[in-house]
Parts: sequence; C-alpha cells; structure tokens
Amino acid sequence: MTYEEFADTRLAPLLRYAVMLTGDPHQAQDLVQETMVRVQLNWRRVARADAPERYVRRMLTNQYVDWRRGSWVRRVLLRAEPDPTLPVPTDHAQSAVDRDQIWSWLSRLPRRQRAALVLRYYEDLPDVEIADILGCAVGTVRSSISRALATLRAEYVEA
Amino acid sequence: MIEDDLRAAFVRHEPMTPSTGPLRAAIDRLAATRRRRRQRFQAAGVTLALLAALGVGVPQLRPERPAEDSLPSVQPADSQSGALNVLLVGVDGFGAKPPYRLADSILLVHIPADRSRPYLISLPRDLEVSVPGRGTDKLSSAFFTGATEPQPDLDPGYDLTRRVVADLTGVRVDAGAVLTFTGLRRITEAVDGVEVCLPNEVRSSHSRRVFPAGCQRLDGAASVDLLRQRRYLPDGAFDRDRNAQRYVAGLIRRAVAQDVLSNPVRLTALLSAAGEGLTVDDDGLPLTKLLRVLPELKSVDPVGLSLPVGPLTDNVQRVRLDPKQGPAFFAALGEDRLAQWVAQHPEQVNAVR
Repeated sequence: MTYEEFADTRLAPLLRYAVMLTGDPHQAQDLVQETMVRVQLNWRRVARADAPERYVRRMLTNQYVDWRRGSWVRRVLLRAEPDPTLPVPTDHAQSAVDRDQIWSWLSRLPRRQRAALVLRYYEDLPDVEIADILGCAVGTVRSSISRALATLRAEYVEA
Repeated sequence: MIEDDLRAAFVRHEPMTPSTGPLRAAIDRLAATRRRRRQRFQAAGVTLALLAALGVGVPQLRPERPAEDSLPSVQPADSQSGALNVLLVGVDGFGAKPPYRLADSILLVHIPADRSRPYLISLPRDLEVSVPGRGTDKLSSAFFTGATEPQPDLDPGYDLTRRVVADLTGVRVDAGAVLTFTGLRRITEAVDGVEVCLPNEVRSSHSRRVFPAGCQRLDGAASVDLLRQRRYLPDGAFDRDRNAQRYVAGLIRRAVAQDVLSNPVRLTALLSAAGEGLTVDDDGLPLTKLLRVLPELKSVDPVGLSLPVGPLTDNVQRVRLDPKQGPAFFAALGEDRLAQWVAQHPEQVNAVR
C-alpha cells in the first residue's frame, strides 16, 4: 500500500475520529495534519506495521493525549494558510451544540478517558483493540471507561 | 442508557467534520517542507567526494588568505616536484543540534610525481585505527573527537583526522579540505550539475529519488542524496565510497569541461561557492604551488581505488586492514608506484565511469 492509497481511504475516517476526540473541527484538522505529516515522512515504517491503520490511529491518539495545553496555539499558527473552504458551523448546528450537554461534558473528561469512550462508543472497537491503541492493559481500558461513565452520570444527576 | 446518549451524540456531531481536500494538500505541503529541512540538516555524510574533485587542486584557494608567494617568478625552483597527497573529508551533521560530526567519507587523492593521473583512495570510515586520545577506534571517530571537544569546530576535526591518516598510511598529507553537505550542494550547483555513472540502480532511503543505472546529471540536492545512501546498498559503506569516487570523477570531468581547473579565476569562484561548507587546509602546501601542479597533469581521469581490507572481524562494526595487502598497498603509495600496484591488483580498482 502506498501513502496515497492510504490517505485516499483512511483520511476521512481519521478526521472524523479526531473530531470526536477533540470536539472541535479546527483542532481535529491540526491533530490529523500533524499526525499525517509524520506518517508520510515515515511511510516505510508505517506500511511495515501489521495493521497500518491501527498504527496510525495509535499515533494520532498518542498525539492527542500528549498534546500539551497551550500548544494548540502554536499548532494553529503553523497551519500553512487559512482555510476558507472550512465549513463554518451553521446557526442550526451551533444551537444544537449548545443544547448538547453530554457533548460539552465530554470536554471535561481527561483525554485518555475521552479517547476510550470514543473508541468504544463511536468506533465500536473491542476492548482488546482499544487497549492496543491506548497502549495499556484491557483492565485499564475498562476501568477508565467506567470512571468516565460515572462522571457523566453524576453530571446528569446534577443537571 | 447513557451509553446510547453517547453514541447518539457522536453521530450527531459527525457533520462537524471538515472536508479532507484542503487538509490533504496542507499535509503534503508541510511534509515536503519538513523533508527538505531534514535533508538539509541530517547531512549526509559523504560529502566528501566533492573534495576529490577539488583534490585535483582546489582546496588551497581560500580567497581571504592571500598566498604569500603571489609572485610566482620569485621562487621558480620551488615548484612542487614530488608526489602529492590531498586529504578530503566529507562530514555529516551540519547544522544539527546538538552539533555532531562524523567523517563519513574520507578520500585521499594521490597525485604521482610523474603527474600521470590522480588516484582516489577511499579510506573506509569503519576502518580500525589508532586515534590519539581515544585508543583504537573507527576512523570516522577521529573527526568527531577532534571536532566536538572542547567546542564544535571543523578545523580541529580535520587536524586530528589528518594525523590519524598520516600515521595509518605513512605518507605526508600535503593539503586537504573538509566538506559539509551544504558545501557539496553548492559546489555541484556552481558547476551546473555533475554527471555520475552508476553500475546499478540506487533507491534513496531518504527521499523518493531513484537513481537509475547508467550516467545521469545530478543537481546539488540529488548529489547529496546519492552520496548519503548507504543502508540499502549491497556493500554498504563501501558502495557509498565507490559512489563518492564516481561523483568526484564526474565533478572533475565537469570542471575540466568548463575549464575551471586551469583558470584560477573560475576556480576561486567555484571554491567560494562552497562558502562555509568548505574548510581548507593551507598550512602544508600553499595554494599557488598546488595550482602549478594542475597543468602538469597528463590526464584528469582519476583511478578509484579501494583500500585492501580483511574479512569482517568478530566485531562486525569495524573493518581491519588486510594484513598482507594493506601494508603492501601503503608501501606502494609511499614509494609512489601506485601504477604498478594497480596493474597487479586490478580487482581493487573501481570503475568510476
């Protein structure tokens, strides 16, 4: 598989995944951009992996989990040019976001917990694969998901 | 139930996903930029080749240091009459932080007393030698040792390498130069590209370039790329050394075609093109004397030679001199009878064209 072929089919799913992780289309673009640049520069190594897609997803997830607060700013400045074609959320979508409390609660979760939730409830991956992507034990995946769900339930009660 | 809400929330936000077209273009742009920057910084070592071309005479032309004997007629008897040995060292790591320097290509250019033609002798970077202050180590470590302590500087790296090479070969090093990757690129561009003839295809592991078998004209960046390739070549660093010789042979041909070597003005222009990427040693042999040698050469088609080395030892990272052939070779070099040695050992000659 070449990098081009990989990007043809996998870029869109990765971008959707990044949107779910970050909750923000701009940050998602930056995250995917940074990851995919490294993928392209090291394509030989990526292609050698047993499952290149999972390998890239792991790169992206690590990047997200490790991304320091504040460094977003730098990343945004690095973006080559402002992107006029970026879809601006419509009023309707914006108000939907405002109404969407569970979405905003997600942003308060620790990043690893949020990643675990996205991988299980959006990507529908089995716990074993989630553990591989997050680089931890299966038990750790389960406990962080249950902790995250408990946090969200507590928010529900308060709301 | 909260799980269902979560799933629904994720799906509901899918439309937030931006389109991938502009993102993909941005990725390609940024990757290209970083690839260029990486090539610039990771300097690939083998720059040295360049020098060889220079070996034919160039290294002495540092413009800001006017030669003392700029009146050639004053000392006509002083013209260099014996054999000459010029040391060319190609280093990597240029511009890297923290700075490091490894001499990846070390080439000794030998010009016999009869001025028949130049010989290019590649000294393997992994050759086991005795390095003052470091004990037994690889030849490439001499430059590193000299150039990094106490502070990064090319000159002490060259000096130590020269000492080690002189000890190893037993010949006097009359002049020399250090070339970084930037210098290599600039010199190549100054002569408008260099034709290199390869016996086999070479695929770059640093870029997407593929160098087909046969002769091809390379620009500065492509030359650097080619001379960096080692890892996937069948014979590793030895093949890289051979490619360096091929490059130097092409550079010499090019310089001759442009009448650079016999024209001091053009030669100076060529050398200043290398700028800080080129450090020259003019302590041994002043430039003007070396220049006088140039018109005396009967042929500028160099002979590329490999040092006779023994089989890989227990330590596969290092190579040792062949216990019989090695000393015999150095004796021939010291006594200036390489032509005879080459006739007896045609297997050590590399086709450079």
